Amino acid sequence: MQRPDWAPETIDVERPSVARMYDYYLGGSHNFAVDRAAAGAMMAAVPQAPLMAQANRAFLRRAVQFLTDAGIRQFLDIGSGIPTVGNVHEIAQRHAPESRVVYVDIDPVAVAHSREILAGDDRTAVVQEDLRNPDRILANPDVRALLDFDQPIAVLVVAVLHFVADDDRPDEVLRTLRSALAPGSYLVLSQASDDGRDETERAEAEEVYRRTDSPLWVRSRAELTGFFDGFELVEPGVVWVPQWRPETPESAEDAEQAVFLGGVGRLGG
Amino acid sequence: MGEPPNGQPYIGVFARAWAKAVAGTSYLPMTHAQLEALLQRLTDLLAKALRAEPLDLRVGHRVAQELVAAHIASAEALGRTVEVIQLRLVRDLDLVADDIEDRMARLLGAVATGYARALRDRTLDEQESIRRAAMTARAEAEQALRASEARFRHQATHDPLTDLPNRTLFAERLAAAVDAGNGRRVGLCFVDLDRFKRINDSFGHQIGDRALVEAARRLRRSVEPHLVARLGGDAFVVLVERSTGTGDVVAVAEAALAALSEPVVVDGHDVTVTASVGIVERRTAGTSPDDLMRAAGSTLNWAKTAGGARWALYDAERDGQEQARQELSAAIPVGLERGEFFLDYQPLTSLHDGSLLGVEALVRWRHPQLGVLRPDSFIGLAEETGLIVPLGGWVLAEACREAVGWASASGRPPYVSVNLAVRQVRRPGLVQEVRALLRRTGLPPDRLQLEITESTMMSSSEEPVRALRALAELGIRIAIDDFGTGYSNLAYLRDLPVTELKVAGEFVRGLRTPEARADERILASLVSLAHALDLTVTAEGVETGGQAERLRAIGCDAGQGWHFGRPAPPDHILARIR
Repeated sequence: MQRPDWAPETIDVERPSVARMYDYYLGGSHNFAVDRAAAGAMMAAVPQAPLMAQANRAFLRRAVQFLTDAGIRQFLDIGSGIPTVGNVHEIAQRHAPESRVVYVDIDPVAVAHSREILAGDDRTAVVQEDLRNPDRILANPDVRALLDFDQPIAVLVVAVLHFVADDDRPDEVLRTLRSALAPGSYLVLSQASDDGRDETERAEAEEVYRRTDSPLWVRSRAELTGFFDGFELVEPGVVWVPQWRPETPESAEDAEQAVFLGGVGRLGG
Repeated sequence: MGEPPNGQPYIGVFARAWAKAVAGTSYLPMTHAQLEALLQRLTDLLAKALRAEPLDLRVGHRVAQELVAAHIASAEALGRTVEVIQLRLVRDLDLVADDIEDRMARLLGAVATGYARALRDRTLDEQESIRRAAMTARAEAEQALRASEARFRHQATHDPLTDLPNRTLFAERLAAAVDAGNGRRVGLCFVDLDRFKRINDSFGHQIGDRALVEAARRLRRSVEPHLVARLGGDAFVVLVERSTGTGDVVAVAEAALAALSEPVVVDGHDVTVTASVGIVERRTAGTSPDDLMRAAGSTLNWAKTAGGARWALYDAERDGQEQARQELSAAIPVGLERGEFFLDYQPLTSLHDGSLLGVEALVRWRHPQLGVLRPDSFIGLAEETGLIVPLGGWVLAEACREAVGWASASGRPPYVSVNLAVRQVRRPGLVQEVRALLRRTGLPPDRLQLEITESTMMSSSEEPVRALRALAELGIRIAIDDFGTGYSNLAYLRDLPVTELKVAGEFVRGLRTPEARADERILASLVSLAHALDLTVTAEGVETGGQAERLRAIGCDAGQGWHFGRPAPPDHILARIR
């Protein structure tokens, strides 16, 4: 039976969740047997999957550090997943305690968990929304209450765009978000890419994610660069995530193994 | 995170090697420099412990706990930590002691133990927290589902404008109340705003809607705790469950009427309305929701026809009569189709020579259940519903058809007189219909007389007059039926091509008694008036020879009534004229 549109989604922990799989890659225990089984299958196909997740998470940390240094005090983290370690508000508030962060995720368990972790922190908010409905995110009262859209905001779309199908028009989604932002705002983007990847490996990875609620859409560097339309890319542009402002030269070695491409763009004007 | 106040922290070669060993074992939420600074501090703790006497194993536990707390928390991180300490710590830090190998082994054991404990606790904590989150999310989803189901149910059972329960919910509650049984009683108030359409027409639907919302609010308050539903438009219904008698429901109706009659102003417009209420109250046993609703609806109509702004109480006898009438009226078209109607004819006899001048066609209905019905039991109904048009048309056609045959039986066949109802006369196309009928049957126009009532002429419209003139010009006789009982407006006698007056029977009835001099004088005046206008006069309701004698003496031209012959089938007429 088709779910009537007035009925909300129910929680099905019998299906793997990409948020909890990601937590597992990062070494967390916020996951269930189904998630570990799916993550195990992914690691069988793509052995460096945990390294990819770690590299992506490290990219997020460096990007937030960069933004904090650039004076950004408002963050909208869409697709924030399970708040395990190194969350955006922890990084930003360590440097600038007044920083405000709104976490957005589609996964109700991730949202419930985030709410529990962040309970009592009035500079953070958690919103259950779908990246594919940017208008609803922007209109959400909690988002509006915490973030001042007249001031620069950093929108983080990290390791989530590969769950948005081409048919769902990721470029339109980003354009909608961009149009709501004040000059001086930033967009942080990363996603899985098939640039220079083995065809079989990609097919197997896609097969794993087909069993989740979020099938995988890998994209090329050119496509990812296109998503920054309207933003000025900061150095070094769209690169394999370990290459984005590495702390040490050696940490950027074998960067293409990270599979994730990422970049940061600034809204001019 | 262990950064000394004076500039760059000192990081020893061992701490560097340790940091390199654990980097990449899991995601570490810190910079490499922060990692090195942390591990330098832990290195110092370990070195101090190895040098101290006695060896404090708790330092090993503490170092392990700090590692796990800093998210250096994976099996790989422990393995590499054990490996790097065992391989390099003593050498890199130049630790010298006789029992250093022994101390090292014990300290490493403590680190591993502490680490395993801390990792297990962390894992269990995380499992607990994610399970709690899943439960919370599930509970929230279920709550949201229930809320949206409740919302959906509310939408499905309430009127969007007034938020009152709608017909669906009302039907459910009424059915439940009736089913409750056990000698209970139930009452309904069917409430309808009087002439509400005027509000919409005068002020527009927006104001009308707000007036409805206000009426709904008052109604709900005035009859609490009884259920009020909006059935649509300006119709509401109140359900009185567990009524103890008519009085309960009448009280509810009076409260509703009082609340509704209070002045209402919307946007400066006075939109005060009155209401009518139909009340039905009875035992639940032996009734049904449909019965109750129908009864309340009929009763509401009584309140409306009595002028509104009142309640009416259901009366089974009145309802039964009305229902019977309604059924009878509904059966007329079927009766016409099945040929259940037939005509009898009553003689119109000359008072001068006793000859048969004409006959009046009188319709009968051979009803399959009720037997033969006289016109007074169904003509009124047919007039109300408009069915008089097809019925009257049939009577006219049938009368003409039968009258044609009488010509062969007599040199002076009687004319046939047929009643025309107001609606028939006002209907366009009457003249063509009659003309076509005469042509089709071959009946000469002067053998047809149309009887109309005075009220037919009371309309301001010119149309009936024109039609009657046209008919008269064809040669058809026009009679005024029941003359003397209506307005008896003499003006139209001047304007209309009338050929005959039929004087109502009540004047004739008076002729029986000696004291009825007035009736006799009225009749005499009517006759002389008619004759002065070149009209003939037929007296109706002549029952005795005495009356006939008097009428002849007055100068009346013809008589109709039992004295001259009762209405009879056409073959009786034929027999009489032969």
